[in-house]
Amino acid sequence: MTTLAKNPRSVAPAADKPKPHGSLRRFGDLKIALLFIAPAMIGFIVFYVVPTIRGVYLSFTEYNILGDPEWVGIENYTAIAKDPLFWNSLAVTGQYVFLNIVLQTALALGLALLMHQVAKSTIIRGALLLPYLMSNVIAALLWFWMLDYQIGVVNQFIEWAGLPRVAFFGSEAWAIPTQALINTWRHMGYTALLIFAGLQAIPGHVYEVAKLDGASAFQTFRKITIPLLRPVLVLVLVVTVIGSFQVFDTVAVTSAGGPVNATRVIQYYIYQRAFTESDFGYGSAIAVILFLILALVAFIQMKFLKGNESDLD
Amino acid sequence: MTTTASRAQLPAATRRRRAFNPRRATAWALLVLAIAVSVLPFLWVLRTALSTNNALAANAASLLPAEFSFGAFKRVFGLQSAAEAVAEGGSGAQIDFWIYLRNSLVFSSITTAGAVFFSAMAAYAFARLRWKGRNAVFSLFLGTMLVPPIFTALPNFLLIKNLDLLNTMLGMVLPYLFMTPFAIFFLRQFFLNMSREVEEAAMLDGAKHLRIFFQIILPNAAAPIATLALLTFIGQWNEYFWPLLVGSQDDVRVLQVGLGVFKSQSPQGAPDWSGLMAATLISALPVLILFAAFGKKIVNSIGFSGIK
Amino acid sequence: MKKTLGAVAVAAAVALSLSACGGGASSAESSKGEISYWLWDANQLPAYQQCADDFTKANPDITVKITQRGWDDYWSTLTNGFVGGTAPDVFTNHLGRYGELAENKQLLAIDDAVEKDNIDLTAYNEGLADLWVGQDGKRYGLPKDWDTIGLFYNKAMLASAGVSEDQMKNLTWNPENGGTYEEVVAHLTVDKSGKRGDEPGFDKNNVAVYGLGLNGGGDSSGQTEWSYLTNTTGWSHTDKNPWGTHYNYDDRKFQESMEWFAGLADKGYMPKLETTVGAAMADTFAAGKSAINAHGSWMVGQYTGYKGIEVGIAPTPVGPQGERASMFNGLADSIWAGTKKKDASIKWVEYLASADCQDVVASKAVVFPALKASSDKAAEAFAAKGVDVTAFTEHVKNKSTFLYPITDNTAKVKGIMEPAMDAVVSGKAPASSLTQANEQVNALFK
Repeated sequence: MTTLAKNPRSVAPAADKPKPHGSLRRFGDLKIALLFIAPAMIGFIVFYVVPTIRGVYLSFTEYNILGDPEWVGIENYTAIAKDPLFWNSLAVTGQYVFLNIVLQTALALGLALLMHQVAKSTIIRGALLLPYLMSNVIAALLWFWMLDYQIGVVNQFIEWAGLPRVAFFGSEAWAIPTQALINTWRHMGYTALLIFAGLQAIPGHVYEVAKLDGASAFQTFRKITIPLLRPVLVLVLVVTVIGSFQVFDTVAVTSAGGPVNATRVIQYYIYQRAFTESDFGYGSAIAVILFLILALVAFIQMKFLKGNESDLD
Repeated sequence: MTTTASRAQLPAATRRRRAFNPRRATAWALLVLAIAVSVLPFLWVLRTALSTNNALAANAASLLPAEFSFGAFKRVFGLQSAAEAVAEGGSGAQIDFWIYLRNSLVFSSITTAGAVFFSAMAAYAFARLRWKGRNAVFSLFLGTMLVPPIFTALPNFLLIKNLDLLNTMLGMVLPYLFMTPFAIFFLRQFFLNMSREVEEAAMLDGAKHLRIFFQIILPNAAAPIATLALLTFIGQWNEYFWPLLVGSQDDVRVLQVGLGVFKSQSPQGAPDWSGLMAATLISALPVLILFAAFGKKIVNSIGFSGIK
Repeated sequence: MKKTLGAVAVAAAVALSLSACGGGASSAESSKGEISYWLWDANQLPAYQQCADDFTKANPDITVKITQRGWDDYWSTLTNGFVGGTAPDVFTNHLGRYGELAENKQLLAIDDAVEKDNIDLTAYNEGLADLWVGQDGKRYGLPKDWDTIGLFYNKAMLASAGVSEDQMKNLTWNPENGGTYEEVVAHLTVDKSGKRGDEPGFDKNNVAVYGLGLNGGGDSSGQTEWSYLTNTTGWSHTDKNPWGTHYNYDDRKFQESMEWFAGLADKGYMPKLETTVGAAMADTFAAGKSAINAHGSWMVGQYTGYKGIEVGIAPTPVGPQGERASMFNGLADSIWAGTKKKDASIKWVEYLASADCQDVVASKAVVFPALKASSDKAAEAFAAKGVDVTAFTEHVKNKSTFLYPITDNTAKVKGIMEPAMDAVVSGKAPASSLTQANEQVNALFK
């Protein structure tokens, strides 16, 4: 880990000068702190706090942007409860999150172990990181081309293998898994690097001791590596889950919610209602619900997986 | 004891003694496969960008460009006439990626500069200054990381609209300009770990916090700040949702949004694949350049930023 | 004293008169300068560019900046422009969208200008001009062009299948057995081993050439996908058109027709819906993968431009009631209510709707302009290129057209119907599922 180059203790505190701001120290920094925080505070309040409040307010209105918001109480929420597309979006998003987590975590963990074992060079890590640096839009379009039904290269290979072509983006069964695959492709390198860093942080002597005790590879993995990796793994899980719930870019640019409703994920549905169908109030209400879901998910994850503690300490 | 050997279960300290270890070979093979899967698609994009649309169907799997041509790039930069474009399978529509490129550069640069600088100031306050309520406020800030962007996007859109800043660069830049939660978190971590000696020496000499910040802290934090700036720039470059909402008119549209609509430019026709791939490459180019120049920094930053 | 009073009086009078003319901007400003114009069809761009150049020659202090955007991008950016106050001064409007725009007061009413400048509304093809009068009785556009639906077919495939062009031009259809339409489509379908769709041993899972191409599910209008069939049974989309408030997707006749349509894909005569993602029906036709495509007259240029394929155009089939039917869509140019160049925009719109521009469009043979005289010229221009467009013009002459459904809430209706129709056409849901969708749609109008 990078640390600041420490300046050696070359400056001896002058013994006769009293410590500045002695008892005022506790409060003395407040003024200057406010100055330092001011810009960030402005950003925080104007673009995070106020919108949160306004978003909640809007969820109780009917608003088509071109007019004025009209208070309708909990009408939006009751409509959402009855809206098949809303429940569909939850199901579709849930499917996506699940596939994503399973694939991504498994692959990333595997890759991290491989790298830790075999090669740690920056070039290899860089190569794996490349997809992550590209935007979601680029990743989506790239695969939209490669997986094209008519002339995509992947389907060409599939046909050569004697199997029927797959309509990756057009088939309802494949649509969401395809999105999950694209996302996994984009993130697995990054996640692998995160876990890799965690692996690096495990002190070598722990393994030596284990080996001396005669532990097998599997036992070492299960009883030492995983528990010591837990904070990293938990962090990765939390971040991946929350991030997956917010999938939008790849869907917007390729399948736009289709075929039928197979990729109409929550964020896309919100966008559709708010901007395409000019139903801002309804869209806001769904956004509120999404926020609550995410808060709950994060809370559960942190609580049950006890990510705050590290077994190393 | 029997072990169930699989690649995921290799112990951490394998000694490189054997000349040929099948386990290592498999491990290498898998790693190479992963690298191939990560990198080859980009080469495929390049190959397609240098092809001509009409020949694509016939040569669906050939590694070389199908009928080599720079036409796609010309099209994307608006250098081909409508007739030529249509003849090559393009849409004959007006596309001008120079403007989008410029907009992306401006957007990313401004937001990065602002966010990093102001976040550094705030991070310093959280890490180094002592004041009442410091930790509570920091937790609040941290909480913003949990808020889904879509949730604040709708009201922010309205705010920008109320300020009459829709479809202006200022309107696009504002929400990011003052801070990003990640930047504050990242820099605070760093400042916390910084040694205090130089700082305390300067304070004993009577220096005020502002001076300390600008003349001591910042220079010493140049490395992580640079890394943060890089990461932020890349993140901003790749932003799609917010610029889509707020910057839809051509003079402020950014590359990612332009790319997203490129597909739908062709009237009644299939996408202009070579043009689309050329546009994709151009959109990826700046990040690729940054990566080539600062790859090591970026790669090494992942571990540091990822762990609490 | 008197002199100054007089001066003040004159100044006041001048001030009053100045403020009387022109709403927000002074009238001088609103009739000069650059106006922005949007359209979506790149095929028509050259024609309108020429119109713009001619217009500027005739009106030297007005220039027109044309922007073309692809269909999806067009509407979302336009809406964004309304919200953000940066919409174009003039833009091509579509019957399917204009109801909402008028209701949200985004369109400028041009009744005064039309009356003042004596625009002859009877010179347009029948019915077109009235379409652009909103529910409030005000006019929001002048007709620009019209289109109908026809069957594009591959002449070579017909010949090798032994189907005469005469047969092709006199097809019949009914929802029970598909009439001669289904027979021809089946016969033109060829599987990978060369068997035709109506021969024993036909493998519907390995089709090389589909008898009928597919564009998509058709969402709420089915303009090119199925409306030319459903509307021959006596069914119509809404209770009245324009400005209906009740949709009829629950009608038994409609659902039977959709069952038949979805059945075509089942039988292997039409591609599966999932394969249409990322592909375009016209290009699939050009690649020799479909024999017949039902498409609109705006596509003539594209189909006839494909190299190596000889394309014929036949009218849509005759339905069970003995008549043909084709959706009749008309575009118009509308002015944004927030424009700062009101007078210049009105001049441009009137120019676009005049023979000067419409004849130019006609000569390029891409679409049929709205003016009767101009659309005749277009037919001639097509003929001069060797393309027989009577299949399209017949509908207008025989009055076998029906309007694109014009109602409020079209965006929401489409949002409901698109997945519902996709589900039916892909075979995932039975046609009876449309009844539930219909209920949702009609609930919007309560």
